[in-house]
Amino acid sequence: MVVVFQKPGGLSTFNMHDGFAEALVRGFRLGFLSENDYRSILQCENLSDVKLNLQESDYGSFLADVNEVTPSIVREKALEKLVAEFKYLRSIADEPLASFLDYITYDYMIDNVMLLLKATLNNPDVDVVALLKQTHPLGQFDESVYKSIVAFENSAKGYAELYQSVLIDTPIGKYFGRFLAEESHKASQDASAVQNLLDNMPTTKLEASLRKLYLEDFMHFCQVLGGETGDFVTELLKARADAAAINITLNSFGTRLNEPESRRNERMALYPSIGNLYPEGIDKLSDVGDESELASILRTYPVYRVIFDKHQRGDKTIDDAFYEREVELNELAFEGQFNYACFYSYVRLKEQEIRNLVWICECIVQRQKERTNDHFVPIFSHDSDFRKQK
Amino acid sequence: RRAAAAAAAARRAGASGGTMNTFFSPAGGGLFLGEICANTSNTPQAWYNPGEGGDWIDVFLNISPFAWAYLGLALSLGLSVLGAAWGVWATGTSLVGAAVKAPRIKSKNLVSVIFCEATAIFGVIISIILLGKVSTDGNAAILEKNCASVFFGGYSIFWAGFSVGVTNLASGITVGVSGSGCALADAQDSSLFVKILIVEIFGSALSIFGLIIGIIQSQNADFTTN
Repeated sequence: MVVVFQKPGGLSTFNMHDGFAEALVRGFRLGFLSENDYRSILQCENLSDVKLNLQESDYGSFLADVNEVTPSIVREKALEKLVAEFKYLRSIADEPLASFLDYITYDYMIDNVMLLLKATLNNPDVDVVALLKQTHPLGQFDESVYKSIVAFENSAKGYAELYQSVLIDTPIGKYFGRFLAEESHKASQDASAVQNLLDNMPTTKLEASLRKLYLEDFMHFCQVLGGETGDFVTELLKARADAAAINITLNSFGTRLNEPESRRNERMALYPSIGNLYPEGIDKLSDVGDESELASILRTYPVYRVIFDKHQRGDKTIDDAFYEREVELNELAFEGQFNYACFYSYVRLKEQEIRNLVWICECIVQRQKERTNDHFVPIFSHDSDFRKQK
Repeated sequence: RRAAAAAAAARRAGASGGTMNTFFSPAGGGLFLGEICANTSNTPQAWYNPGEGGDWIDVFLNISPFAWAYLGLALSLGLSVLGAAWGVWATGTSLVGAAVKAPRIKSKNLVSVIFCEATAIFGVIISIILLGKVSTDGNAAILEKNCASVFFGGYSIFWAGFSVGVTNLASGITVGVSGSGCALADAQDSSLFVKILIVEIFGSALSIFGLIIGIIQSQNADFTTN
């Protein structure tokens, strides 16, 4: 139950509280790398040239104190710039924009928790400090939280303890709580099933469930906010939910989740209950056993048919095809003024830009520039696929 | 004249017996109607049947036209300034935010703020014009004047002020919202500024309509004829 005391204003009252923040985000939009910037970076032979070229762009001297430039350092510094801009936005934000921006960070908190959990399960003596450097800076916790995660034991009891002692105080604690409540409900019905699942693939199920609960919660929050924010952001979240559902199905082929008896019981529980595929598409997806069945179901959804065709033909990986779709929707979100969609889109597009930048740096370092277009998604560019088809 | 007014009041009090009657037609017939306009050739009393008793017309006719006139003055000024302030609030926040990353827009886009300000100035101009039409003689000196024209004066100044106030409110908000869009568009692409300024000019024209009509409405208001 989300209680919102103040809703974002409409056409004539939005600027009273959030006008400055929105204008700021649109200023940050000016800072996206343009086609010319990408072209000039691609002509570089090594990363120091890239550093020089980026000085002309909005990134400026973000690599100034770095002597030895590597792709991971580029990612780190670019993320720092994003975090600085985001923190500035967050500091001047009024309610309910402040809550909205917090919701955006919960996504990265889930990423960070899962990163640490997976690392701990693989190697109980993992180096916390090295791991901390890999966490996403937008979703930071207290260091004590990280230390507790690293110290937990892999069992149903261990998860419950982890939740009670540490995670319950974090903003994503409620998702954990709901997940554990559902698991214990199932355990009271069939204890062996839960233990089995936790032993075999704890993190997949956990991550998918957390992501699902987060998307549903965020969607509910946006619908409570109402107005154009509700309309636009829910469209963006629905696209993410559909992508999650299709990815879960695709990744389950060849694993335990794809066995006929566990498709309805376990895999279906991982699909979000929001999205354009919900409910009929999700129902059909629950019975899918291989890629051809998946393709036949997606044929009735024109957008996903195109995306899945690209994957099946081998033009692009399914992740990149979904990234392209996400970029298309997020660019559209900037078209409307007086709503919060541009804040969410800005963060997602910046993430994509950082992925682009890191991929280009990798290509340059490995001297394989011809492979740039494999994983590069143009942002705010006339070269975008969806623009060229029009 | 006082006796006639008292008789009229007593007649009304006796006829209806309702509570509104005694409240709105006090003994003496109400100051304005009973004392000032009674038995003059153009009085509003001729417009209604005295025997029917107290009614809403009693309420309105007992409100002094000066009350109406000054209320209109307040509305024209207050609503115009409300509209202008709302517009400056809407466009000013966007201007300040967009100028962080695109400082070149800050001087040109002050034009939007000036358009909003013009709305407030129109309100002030009308208020001063209307003020000039209201005689400062006050209630007592009206005794010699034409009752109907005094009433007309009060009502016309009220509605002139109201129409100017409301049109300026709408115009101020319009200019504010489109000025906000103008600032953001200018930050992205400076060729858009002049195009969107035209939208703002049309929004500003709304307040000019109000100004013109307000002047025409209050033209014949005259508290001073005999």
